[in-house]
Amino acid sequence: MTNLNATPARLGSAGTDPDRLGDATLCFGLSFAVTSLFDALLVVLKEINEDSLLAWMKAATGHHWVTHGVMSFALFVILGLAFQRLGIGRTLSANLLTAIVVGSMGLSALIMVGFYLVY
Amino acid sequence: MHIADLFLDTSAEPGQLKCLALRKEEEAMSEVILMIHPALGVLAILATVWALVEALNAAPVRHWRLRAATLSGAVLIWLTYVVGGYWYLVFYAADKALIKKGPWPFAHNLVMESKEHVFLLLLLLATYLPVVAWRNLEQRPGARTLVIAIAALVVLTGLGMEGAGAVISMGVKTALLSKPV
Repeated sequence: MTNLNATPARLGSAGTDPDRLGDATLCFGLSFAVTSLFDALLVVLKEINEDSLLAWMKAATGHHWVTHGVMSFALFVILGLAFQRLGIGRTLSANLLTAIVVGSMGLSALIMVGFYLVY
Repeated sequence: MHIADLFLDTSAEPGQLKCLALRKEEEAMSEVILMIHPALGVLAILATVWALVEALNAAPVRHWRLRAATLSGAVLIWLTYVVGGYWYLVFYAADKALIKKGPWPFAHNLVMESKEHVFLLLLLLATYLPVVAWRNLEQRPGARTLVIAIAALVVLTGLGMEGAGAVISMGVKTALLSKPV
């Protein structure tokens, strides 16, 4: 008998719910959202802290943008794997994850462009 | 003084000319990279449009094509990043100085600064797309919606990057044209 009240969490990663997303999709989607907001925040922080944070980022790899890229990609991968291991985000619906991914991309881009517009 | 003017300088020593020849080679290299970077970007956009079309018409027979399209898009975005990043780190300083002294300083202060950072988001998004598209979409409308949304974001942001590149080029051009002859 089909359990009509089954939630995606109860169905597990191999569930048959057509709206159920895979673990990698869910965890790396959440990781993208966090990383994109981290990127936007880092842009603001490094530009207003030229003598400390920006100087350190330049010293780390020779250019602040390279350090920024390395930090961003590393955070995306580490958070995605950590969320998978910890089971974070597994109950999110596909529509909510879509909204989170699109919203975080839009907000992060807006923070970056808005910052450079006024800075 | 522009490099072309230095070559016309008859008082230049052979050592200086060799140095100038090397600089001219570097300039040519810079121009070639500047053409490869947006060309790869356009190819990445086209691959992602292909992925978008495959996701809109999701069917079992099309699944390998969706995987191929999203993977090509991700690889091309990474190549765009590597080539553009190399140019940015090695050659952009001279253009930046020109732009900042020219009539369009916003081409660097706003457009380039935004472009180089928003591109990092685009890179992550394009890398994430094949992860979402890997499983069959025809039986999973939620995943299909997510693929369509991400592919559309990649295409729109990619087009924005191309436009930003054009503004930066115009920033250099207006700076050079504004110099007295």
